[in-house]
Parts: sequence; structure tokens; C-alpha cells
Amino acid sequence: MLNIYRRLWQTNWAEQWQYRANLLMYLLYWLVSPVVYLAVWTTVANAQGSVQGYTANDFVTYYLLLLMVDQLNADITIHLLAYKIQDGTLSGELLKPIHPILTNTLVNNLAFKALTLMVMIPVWLLLCLLFRPDFGTVTLPNLLLGIPAIILGFGINFLFGAAITCLAFWTTRVYAISEFYYALTVLFAGQFVPLDLMPPLVQQIAAYLPFQILRFFPIQLILGRLTGGEILVNFLLGVFWLLVALGLFQLVWKQGVKRFSAVGA
Amino acid sequence: MQWNENGDSPAPGVDAIRVQDLCKTYHVPEREGGMGEAVRSFFRRRYRDVVAVQKVNFCIRSGEIVGFLGPNGAGKTTTLKMLSGLLHPTSGKVEVLGFTPWERKNEFLRAITLVMGQRSRLSWDIPAADSFLLHQAIYRLSDEEYKQTLKELDDLLDLSPIMRKPVRNLSLGERMKCELAAGLLHRPKVLFLDEPTIGLDITAQARIRTFLQEYNRRTGATILLTSHYMADVTALSERIIMIHQGELKYDGSITDLSRRIAPYKIICVTLEDGQVMDLSRYGDPAQPANGEWGENGGCKNLIQVTANRVAEVTARLLAELPVQDLNIEDPPIESVIERAFAE
Amino acid sequence: MNVLKLLYAYLRMNVQMALAYRTDTAVNILLNLMWLGWELFSLSIIFNNTDTLAGWGPGELIALLGVFRLVNALMASLIWPNTERFNTSIRDGSFDYVLLQPANSMLLVSINRMVVWRIWDLVLAGGLIAAGVRISQTTGVESLAGFLVLAASGLVVIYSLWIVMIALTFWFIKFDNNVTILQALLEAGRYPVMVYPAWLRLIVTFVIPIALATTVPLQGLRGELTTGNTLVFLAAGALSLLIASQVWRAGLKRYAGASS
Repeated sequence: MLNIYRRLWQTNWAEQWQYRANLLMYLLYWLVSPVVYLAVWTTVANAQGSVQGYTANDFVTYYLLLLMVDQLNADITIHLLAYKIQDGTLSGELLKPIHPILTNTLVNNLAFKALTLMVMIPVWLLLCLLFRPDFGTVTLPNLLLGIPAIILGFGINFLFGAAITCLAFWTTRVYAISEFYYALTVLFAGQFVPLDLMPPLVQQIAAYLPFQILRFFPIQLILGRLTGGEILVNFLLGVFWLLVALGLFQLVWKQGVKRFSAVGA
Repeated sequence: MQWNENGDSPAPGVDAIRVQDLCKTYHVPEREGGMGEAVRSFFRRRYRDVVAVQKVNFCIRSGEIVGFLGPNGAGKTTTLKMLSGLLHPTSGKVEVLGFTPWERKNEFLRAITLVMGQRSRLSWDIPAADSFLLHQAIYRLSDEEYKQTLKELDDLLDLSPIMRKPVRNLSLGERMKCELAAGLLHRPKVLFLDEPTIGLDITAQARIRTFLQEYNRRTGATILLTSHYMADVTALSERIIMIHQGELKYDGSITDLSRRIAPYKIICVTLEDGQVMDLSRYGDPAQPANGEWGENGGCKNLIQVTANRVAEVTARLLAELPVQDLNIEDPPIESVIERAFAE
Repeated sequence: MNVLKLLYAYLRMNVQMALAYRTDTAVNILLNLMWLGWELFSLSIIFNNTDTLAGWGPGELIALLGVFRLVNALMASLIWPNTERFNTSIRDGSFDYVLLQPANSMLLVSINRMVVWRIWDLVLAGGLIAAGVRISQTTGVESLAGFLVLAASGLVVIYSLWIVMIALTFWFIKFDNNVTILQALLEAGRYPVMVYPAWLRLIVTFVIPIALATTVPLQGLRGELTTGNTLVFLAAGALSLLIASQVWRAGLKRYAGASS
């Protein structure tokens, strides 16, 4: 089985390498929004000292970490798979004796991440030089704990993303749905505004949703802003949502494949 | 250059197209495969000169239909592009209706059309009729002119049933008719047609040919068309220009070419009781070009004989064999052309 | 005027294409409203926590959002669909047909495709600008006129920049993805550029001058620009169009294999 993954890695890496020009463009998109929000909030924080407990440096560290977590958690399944479902090329993959999404698509995602990280890490370091964050609150244990948190976040994001992509079995408007899902992430994950700064109502709703595990949780964990108890609770929640996402994905996938084979490629 | 005042095609007998010493050389970057080459080419590109058209000269009179023949890569499309103003030549002079094509003056563009069989100008998702309306706006046709021309094209091409369907729902033949119509809405005086019948079935091809003949007759438009199908050329034009490896090989009538290249005839002999016999003593065996043979499909006994020996061989056949029927025909154009290019 | 007739003809064609995909249009409008909601919401969060942003008040930021959406509508309705169409037409050779037509090729390439429902976005943008002006109680007719004129000039700059970007394809066929830079940096147009660190400010003012289309018109509205400044910006707009058309012409010559 490991062999299969290794092979898939090789082919997917080669494929992603071909599209490296697109990569540069993707890089730009990734970069601009967080920097914009960073600038806005630090301006406000600098003007009045702090915003609800966030100093300018707090914002800088938050957004710089956001850049990284965003990339590590990102899921591009919809761009990889939706068209294959729509034009029928998925049938080729269904014939293979391995699960196409849990193998090929997953590895494709990872290859994309690896490639983008290669370029992004130097850019990120440059940004650190430009913004001079003070990462004083980050301790090694927290950083290490952050790793499983991020993996958890990716798992949830990937499975939900895959489930949504599977909606392509039923509708052509799957990109619209994906955009809506992204909007939810932006709202409830602390994507562009730290969750703490959102109105209380939003924060309450967010507690019942999986999205904060994607961004807010790992960032706050690494920055050392969570107590041990909070960390534990969030991990448990994360595992819960992971299982939910897995179940949902399996359901949608099975139904989808049934429909796909019934309708014919 | 003489012109009618009402903007009709120049009077017949006047040159519509004049080409002088036309040359086009492409400067093509060249690279072999492999990683090392890829890196090297990043620093210093190597170029290759590809001569597409070499010292081509010809004149086409107003109202003529000329067939432009040549194998793939011979330079036909390049020449057409230079005539329609899409390409600048490397050297030489071209005059179409008195204009230099690559200056792309609007009056020039309104007087010509280029229809490429392999590329569509129509919008896929909307009916052809709507693309036509767009065309009207771009070419500044008045409503009367437009309606009149459209009606004529409709009569000739039978567009009414297909005009209102989205283009992607049309068959290839139907689409080609609409492409042609779109190219002719502004009543151009010179038509450049690049493989207009490619991919069409026999009936569709025939219909397009009839249309072009009729269009030429009615409007006196000058037509220059390239094609792979000999039938296009033989049906439409007496005059062909042959181009091979960028050079003009022949410019004249088809019959002259046949006579020059292949002064031989093909004799089809039908024997009593449908016998098949070895006729090698009389002449060389011949193959019908594409499996079809004049009006007698599948002639079983075919020989080819030099023209000056036809009478003699025929006499011998009639005397020595139980001949039921005998046909003497010119060799198929394809073999003539092939031989011409082989020289 | 013929340009108007052409515009109308292409508009009509694109409307028909849009009607063929009606539900897509409805979905798009809904998503658009959703994002507008988020944008206004994030503005409200900012102003829950402060009274001014770099000296700009909420009304002004709403007007800025309107201008940003205006530029974004231009990108989404004209620039993106026509970039795609242009790149395809270069690749498959149908660009030749554009050249064969007796009309300005730069114009044809710009209006071939239009995302028609984005007209709705223009209305929204107009509404936002009007609301913002009302809330901020800024201003007299003069500033308003200056604002409109500067906004138009800014749009012209963005348009000209786009023309230059796609014209680059004539020389470098593989870099047909470069318009993405425009869209990515446009995000920085949401907020007044004074907010950004110097290096970002420099980029969005001089390299990819998003600021000319967003912050500058708002400065006009706030009455911060002298007449001299305004004239300079207008001249920049006109000059950019001139440069763009020259680059386009050079690109066409290259496409046609002209050695000169």
C-alpha cells in the first residue's frame, strides 16, 4: 500500500510541477488578503493602543500564522475532481482497485502543498522581516502541539471539501456551493477577522461549527493563548468533527458513485 | 485600376489580385528535447529559418475562380494569409483590389473575406442568425442591404431551417453553410477560401460547390480557394496554381496540365460474361483513383495507354477479344497532380 | 456613432448567451449579494472597534467599497471573460477573424464577451457610493464631480493596464496568466492605501496602480486634492490609454510577423 502512495506522489508531483506558473498566481492570491487585513488592524491598534486586548503585534503574529495555517490546511479537491465527475473521466479512476479520493486526490493535494510551501516559505520569511513580528509567546510544546492541530484541520477541510465536490454527482452548481462553503469558513474560522473580535452571536454560533478548528484553533494554540483545558476540549471537538466529516463524505461518495454508474459516464 | 462607380467588382479583365516575388520566411526557435537543452535554451535561443513561400508570382483577374493546390505545408495557407493581410511577407509585393493587404485598411477589409474551413468564426452558443446580426453591425451594413443579401444567401444555401438553431447543435455541413454565409453577408469582391469543404460528406461538398459557382456567376466575385479535394478544384475552376515547398510549380489550366504531365488515357474494357482477363500485352495495368471509376463503378479490366497509341490499342482489343463495352477516359486528376508534384 | 452600434450589437449577443444559462445567472447574483453582506459586515466590525481608520470615517469607507466594487465589476464583467476569450483565440487561431474585421481590434477584443448580470453590480456599487456620501456628509457638487471624473480616469488606467497585459501574449505566448496579478492586487483597493506599509503602498500606486482607481477618487470626494492634482491624475488616465494602444499596435505587428 505504501508503494502505491509513493508512486502516486511521484506522478502528482510531476503533474503539479507542470503547472508551476499557475502556482505563482495562486501565491499572489494567498498573500494579498491577509496582508491587507493585517495592515488594517495594526493601523487601528496603533492608533488606539489595542483592540479588545489585541495589540498591533498580536495582529501581526495572528495574520502571519494565518498565512501558514491557511496554506497547510488548504484543500483544492474541488479543482481536481469536479470536472472529472462532470465530464465522466472519473470512470477511469473508479476502475482501479483503490479509493480514488483517499489516495490520488489526497496525494495530489499534498503534492500541491509541498510545491507551494517551497515557494511560500521564503516569501513568508521575507514578510516576517518586513513586519517584524514578536513571536515571544510561542513555546516549543505549543508549536509541537500545533502540528496535530493543523493535521486535524486539514483532515476536516479535506473531507468536507471532498464531500462538497461529490455534490457534483447531482448538480452542476457545485462551484457555487463550494464558494458558499468558503464564505462560511471566512465567517466562522477567523479567516480574515480573529474570532475574538466578532460579535458575540457569531462566536456562539462558531462554537457549534467545525470551522474554527481550521484556522482559529491552531493559530491561538501556537500563539499560546489557550489554556490546557481549552486545548483539550478543542482537540476532542476536532476529532468529533473529523469523524462527522468522514461519515458524511463516505455517505455522499457511496451515493454519488451509485448515481454516477447508473447514469453512465 | 478601373472601378465601377456603384462599388461592384472591377470590370472583368482587370486584375483583382497581383502577387510579385512574394517571400515569407519564418524565424522559428528550435530546441531538442531533454533537460540540458531546456536549460541551455533559456540562456541562448537557437533559431532556424523556415522558408514558407519563395518568390511566388501570379495575377488573378476579377471574376476568376482559381484553385490553389499543394500538399500540407506547401505554403498555401501562408500565401492566403498574406493576401488577406494577416501576415506580413518577408519581401515582395501584393496588391488586392488596389490595396496592400497588411495595411489592413477598413475599405480593404470590407471588400474581402477569408473563410477557413478548420476555424469557426461563429459563436457556439447562439443561433447563426444572431452572429449574422453582429456581422451586420461590424461591417456597417444598412438594414436593406443586409436583408437583401441574407435573402439571397438563404435562397442559395437554404439557411432558413438552420439559422435559428444554436451553432453547436448543427451538423458540420450545416455549420459550414452558415460560416460561408457569415463570410459573405458584406458582399465581398474577393473571396479567400481555405479548405471550405474539409470534413464534409459528398452531398454537402457538392452543394457548397454549386453555391460558389452560382455566387461567382451572380456577383462576379473573384474566388481563390485551397483544397485537398480534387473534386472541388475540378468542379469550380479551370485554372489551378500549384505550390510545393513554397515554390510555384504550375499556373495554368487543368487540362493543359493533364496533357503535359500525363499524355495517356485509361481504357476500361468490359468483356462478355463479365470475364476478367490479363491485358498486360495491350497496356499497363491501371488503378481507378478512389475506387470509383467514371460512371461505371468497379470496372474489372483497366489499362492505361499513352495517348498516341489509343487508337491502335483499341482496334486490337476490339479485334482480338470478346469486347462487350469499351470506355476511354482521362486519368483521374489526383494521379496527374501527384505526378506533377513528384517532378 | 459606430462604436455605440458595435457596443449594442455585442451587448445583445451576450445577453442572448446569458439567457441560455439563466439559473447560473441567478446563482451568481445570490453569491454576489452574499459577499456584499460579508464586506459590509467586516466594515461594521472595524467600526465597532474604532471611529476612524487612518482618518477615514465609515461613510467614506462605504463609498470606497462602492468604488472598489465598481472596479471589481469591470474586472468580472469585461476583463476576465475577454482575457479567456482572447487567450483561447490566440491559441486556436480564431484571433485571425478579429483581425479580418473592419473595426478596431482593441475594441473588439474588449467587448467580445460581457458578463451581463454584472450590470446589477454596477447598480449596487452606485448605491454604496451614494449611501457612503450621504453618511459622511462630505460634500459639494464640485467634489462629487471631481470624484466621478477621477473614478472614470482610474477605470481607464486599469483598462489600459489590462490591454498591455494581454498584449504581452503576442511576445510571450506562455505567460497568458498574468492578468491574475491585477485581480490579486485589487484586494488592496478595499481600504485606503495609507493603511498599508510603504512597500505595499508603492506597489499599488506605481507598479499596478490600483490606488489610482480606488483611493484617489475618494480623496477627490473628501476634497483632499487640489485642481492641479486632479488634472495630473486625469492626464495619467489619458496617457495610459495612449500607451496601451501603442503597445497593442506593436503587438499586432509582431503577431503578423512584421520584421519591423
